[in-house]
Amino acid sequence: MINRREFLARSSLLAFGAAVPQFFAKTAHAIEPGKDTILVVLEMAGGNDGLNTVIPYADDLYYRNRPTLRLSKKEVLKIDDQLGLHPSMTGMHKMLQDRQLAIVQAVGYPNPERSHFEAMDTWQLADPKRERKDGWLARATPLIQDAKGSVPALHLGGNRTSLPLALNGAGGGVISVNKDQPFQLNLTGLEDRQKARRKLLDDLVKGPLEAGNATDFVRRRQVQAYTSMDKLKEILKPEEVDSRPGSSDKENDIQTKLAMIGKLISAGWASRIYYVSFAGFDTHSAQAADHSNLLARLSSAIEGFFKEIYVSGPAERVLLLTFSEFGRRVKENGSQGTDHGAASCQFVAGPAVAAGLVGKHPRLDDLDFGDLKYHTDFRQVYATLLDQWLRCDSAAVLGAKYEHLPLLAKKG
Amino acid sequence: MADNLPDDLRQIDPQQAWQAAPPEIWNWKWACHLYRRASFGTSSVILRQAVQEGLHATLDRLIGKSPQAMRWAQLMEDTGRAFASKGDEDSLRAWWHYFMLQSGDPVREKLTLFWHNHFATSIAKVGRADLMLGQNLMQRRQAFGQFGQLLRAISRDPAMLIWLDSNQNVKSQPNENYGREMLELFSLGVGNYTEADVRETARAFTGWNSDSHGDQFEFHPEQHDSGPKTVLGQKGNWDGDDLIRIVLEQPACALFLVRKLYRFYVSETDPPPTLLQPLAEQFHKSKYEVAPLLRTILSSRLFFSQHAYRQRIKSPVELVLGMVLANLPGPVPPGAFVDALDAMGQALFAPPNVRGWTGGRNWLNHATILARHNFADSVAMGKLPIADGVPVKSVVVARKVAGELGVPAAIEIPVEPAPAFDCVTYLRNEKPLSPTEIVERLSENLLDGEIAPAAKARLVAFVAEGKPQDKALDNRIRETVHAIMCMPEYQLA
Repeated sequence: MINRREFLARSSLLAFGAAVPQFFAKTAHAIEPGKDTILVVLEMAGGNDGLNTVIPYADDLYYRNRPTLRLSKKEVLKIDDQLGLHPSMTGMHKMLQDRQLAIVQAVGYPNPERSHFEAMDTWQLADPKRERKDGWLARATPLIQDAKGSVPALHLGGNRTSLPLALNGAGGGVISVNKDQPFQLNLTGLEDRQKARRKLLDDLVKGPLEAGNATDFVRRRQVQAYTSMDKLKEILKPEEVDSRPGSSDKENDIQTKLAMIGKLISAGWASRIYYVSFAGFDTHSAQAADHSNLLARLSSAIEGFFKEIYVSGPAERVLLLTFSEFGRRVKENGSQGTDHGAASCQFVAGPAVAAGLVGKHPRLDDLDFGDLKYHTDFRQVYATLLDQWLRCDSAAVLGAKYEHLPLLAKKG
Repeated sequence: MADNLPDDLRQIDPQQAWQAAPPEIWNWKWACHLYRRASFGTSSVILRQAVQEGLHATLDRLIGKSPQAMRWAQLMEDTGRAFASKGDEDSLRAWWHYFMLQSGDPVREKLTLFWHNHFATSIAKVGRADLMLGQNLMQRRQAFGQFGQLLRAISRDPAMLIWLDSNQNVKSQPNENYGREMLELFSLGVGNYTEADVRETARAFTGWNSDSHGDQFEFHPEQHDSGPKTVLGQKGNWDGDDLIRIVLEQPACALFLVRKLYRFYVSETDPPPTLLQPLAEQFHKSKYEVAPLLRTILSSRLFFSQHAYRQRIKSPVELVLGMVLANLPGPVPPGAFVDALDAMGQALFAPPNVRGWTGGRNWLNHATILARHNFADSVAMGKLPIADGVPVKSVVVARKVAGELGVPAAIEIPVEPAPAFDCVTYLRNEKPLSPTEIVERLSENLLDGEIAPAAKARLVAFVAEGKPQDKALDNRIRETVHAIMCMPEYQLA
């Protein structure tokens, strides 16, 4: 974790050596509203049980439908006299009390999908018909690309081929950092030869960077690749490079991933969108302990993330959004678990939020074939953050205008 | 000698674009360009021969009926079955990479790669290496023939039947997946048919299923909707073959295919709509004969002009094979490139979806660029494995694999081994060369001799620095080869 002085020093132009491309200039600059805001998108993969995350503890129907999974008024972390957070979520509960957490309720879309693939694709493409091929974040990247040419989006985790659909189609606009992707240039030979060779490569790629013709396009991509690589190597310590996340369970540690993102943000990495996935939410059986564990890790990771970047500076320009492909059914199944459902809640965390509940809890006495009904289309959440936080045209990204939600305390 | 086509693509007379290029233009640069586009590139030994022979003789040899072609095809089939019987996709990839490199008919391999992407099918859903192989063998057999034959064959292909849910396409509940993609991606393209056409096409293909094991095509008449249908304005009790006939009658089909072939063989810059008309008309009139169309394209004035030169970004397969063909002292074992190609985003037999690999500028991002440059390092610094050091006759592979698997060995073919070429050996075999001469030879081999003076000067300075001798000079040459293969110009086909 670096302090402000180190942060400024590292961002100096001189750190890159002589052949500095003009677009990777100093990163320690004043916050420009709408230009420097960052969105971290956290995918809770598997279908998070919203009903046991934001809990209607005072509702008798909740008790009756969740005989083994229910949590009582005494156990939950109180939000108000109707709702409480799952007891594991102490960190996020504190953030709520500190006015840093918004909870969007009953989020979904018409004719919800209950298949993991179809539902996840819907959220990632922002298209319930799933006719689009490119992801919503990918569509946003050209609109938030800064003139300096830094990479707009960074995906942390996964493996060689698993770029999330949300970022599919972003082309050169996204970097994937995981243990399967090449992290550096291999220059066989001793150190003095490596230096000479690297200098040669940098010299040979000099030239115009306008993406007009094919050669210039390739040149530009190459410079981007090398400079991003250099910057990443500078920010991440060797042991962090070695422990880049992958896709196995062991490598699925959300705390480490968010910490790494925090480090990148604090060190001035200029991406404005970060994407990270946290798997395990498909709790069909013996849900209680698993779900509790997941929410504990989630809550602790998010709280820890904001604590870190608060100390190193830029917390007020960072928001974190959680999403999951669907919620789960109201009535628990016969295996002390829950099956695929529909509407659920989303969290938006960060100093810039208008804290508290957004929208009413879905009614337990008015279900859609046993599932919670939505009242807030997920594209409203996206549109609000695209327009008001990332300051790009949500209609261009989503294909239509969606009504905003009161997510932000002030225009970011 | 440069052609005198206008600089602006839009100003070019389409008739002139596709006229045969005058044979006098033929030189080293254009020979490199032709080999790179028509196949995957080649070594300077072959290129020198080609320059001597002339443009038309070279084309005749490349696109002509090779006397060995049938025996190559048989060899590939036998070895393919051996590799596919292992069941895993990497073995299948290893097989195809090997033959792309070693094949006596590389132009056919390149065209098969085109069809592989055109009818993009993924083993991820099909799940059977033997069926994926079967599709590949079929595409290779039909590659140069009539496109209609390909379309008829792919509609019955067992891998395709699984991939696009043809087995779920039955009279009582038609499944539109194959019908839609057939129209949208395989023949007409978006905008040249209606949703109603999709529905009727699906009906026409009902009952076009697999047998109970999924091994081969089996028409199920009881599942087939034989009623009247209206497709693209034509009314009749159409079945799948009728659909194909109707689709081929549309000029839009010829134009759609020509546009894709243009992008693959000529340039990734979108051509003005009229430019492709003469080709589309020729293709349509000839009943979609691919060989003459390809011959026209690859011998044309436009092909041998600035409008085609370095106007494509090399796909990973082109890049990797080109590097190997230009640099290695012997054949590499199958499987040598599987990881590298995966890292660059082109795992054959597993396209991301039915649209295939987008290609072009999409090949390049942070990770794939590093993967390309790292592979270049392993080639240049001599880190790729070489098979036995003995020029491999194709039969060696087949026999070895056959022995391992206990299947009958493939037939023997006496084959001219690919000439060995190693950059260091090549340069050091001659009298001592100056740094300038070294750079000139290398850029001749790797960049067609087309290198900017500033880059050349920088490379010469690099080679000369510290006046390296003997082993140090060998190493310096290898480092220079790597640097050249990382240049933006080298990424362009």
